[in-house]
Amino acid sequence: MIEQATKKLVLAHLWVAFAAFALACVLGEYQVLERSGFIEALNSAPVYFASVSTHGVLMAFVLTTFGIMGFGYYFAVTSLNQPLWQPKLAWLGFAVALTGVVLAAVPLLLGKASVLYTFYPPIIAHASFYLGATLLVVGSWLWCVIMVVMFAQWKKANPGQPIPLAMFATTANALLWLWTSAGVALEVLFQLLPLALGWIDTIDAGLARTLFAWTLHPIVYFWLLPVYTAFYVLVPKQAGGYLFSDEVARASVIVLVVFALPIGFHHLYMDPEQGQGWKLLHGIGTFVVALPTLVTGFTVIASLEIAGRLRGGQGLFGWILTLPWTNPMILAVILSLLMLIFGGFGGLVNASYAMNAMVHNTAWVSGHFHLIFGGTTIIMYLAMAYYLWPMLTGKPLFSNTMALCQLWAWFIGMVILTTPWHVLGLLGQPRRISTVVYNNFAHIGLETL
Amino acid sequence: MEQMSEEERKRILESPPIGTFALMSVVIGVMVLAWLFLYYGVFLLGGSL
Repeated sequence: MIEQATKKLVLAHLWVAFAAFALACVLGEYQVLERSGFIEALNSAPVYFASVSTHGVLMAFVLTTFGIMGFGYYFAVTSLNQPLWQPKLAWLGFAVALTGVVLAAVPLLLGKASVLYTFYPPIIAHASFYLGATLLVVGSWLWCVIMVVMFAQWKKANPGQPIPLAMFATTANALLWLWTSAGVALEVLFQLLPLALGWIDTIDAGLARTLFAWTLHPIVYFWLLPVYTAFYVLVPKQAGGYLFSDEVARASVIVLVVFALPIGFHHLYMDPEQGQGWKLLHGIGTFVVALPTLVTGFTVIASLEIAGRLRGGQGLFGWILTLPWTNPMILAVILSLLMLIFGGFGGLVNASYAMNAMVHNTAWVSGHFHLIFGGTTIIMYLAMAYYLWPMLTGKPLFSNTMALCQLWAWFIGMVILTTPWHVLGLLGQPRRISTVVYNNFAHIGLETL
Repeated sequence: MEQMSEEERKRILESPPIGTFALMSVVIGVMVLAWLFLYYGVFLLGGSL
């Protein structure tokens, strides 16, 4: 049950999310053309960095935050079967976050905030960019409050009953986000914004990187948890089966939230400011967090196996063939898990202290996060949109075949995009540089030497 | 699917997911081998700077 007003709220969030996604895709295409070296007129370092920064912010902060809020509102009202708490507060959160996006977009598009989506100092953007980022986060905090209150209200009304899994995972994600976004909020409010406004003259770049690392890796699980929620709640039903284990799913969410918190320093292994003990702790945390990911993979595949066998699948792997591959959600989950295997492996290499030195700040990292985020995560956001849009608008999906073709194209594209990045990274190709001539092998060989 | 008996359905729901165990074992095994290859075959062979 979902009221018309809530449908509008969810749709509004998803429209902003996918509008940002569309613009970011166009910028991605521009970057490919620029890097190809085939069109001389496109070669411009300032435009390239403005484009990369806008692409990263739109994909990693706007698409995700609005998408997660929209999915969260949907999961909350449908799983709890109750109306949204304080819809006006939800709309206020939406308006604040959208105002933040506009404030950040203007300097980004004008080339005044070409600081990449990590905005590491001492590169400093226009103050409007930081103000916009702050408002985006503040808007999302209102979503967190609504999720936590709805969770508490339901528990109060249903004492002793386990909260529905979708709401359990969504609230866990809200709590994760409240904690992890605090790092970047502190960095922006007390370091970057005052510097950009001219209130202070210097900045402790090491402290800023440390605060950003507080946010930088748990944010990946903020992006991933709605995907895992879809894995647990939507996928088994769409496949025609059942969730393998509700208890294992909940345990996996708890472990993920707890161990996702102390892992951000694996981005700073090569930095001198942090103590070795802290780096060791975060390194261990990074390996431990692979466990709930593996458990999630196991639970989802086991659920698919149940569905496949109920559909007549036989033998050790025969059930894979009987799955409804023409259902966008099922196709997406299979492709998502495939990319998660390779992306997850890359993550284990990043987490390995010694090998991190080999791939640090190389194209390997670009390959890794595009595979995990652009691949594993976004393909499921797309599938969730295909699932939700007809329900929210009351209109059938325009073309199931087009949806399937799009998902396949996305998967193949991600593999083609990220494989060379991984290889180049191992050869030593640095990332975050303005120009790479990819259409000349001799040049690539020279650069990597 | 419609022709499946209730007994058969119950048997499937109560059976361990052996296909998943096999698949996950292969995935984990390949990941461990790939990690070892990267460490010993690429990283250590690369030598020091």
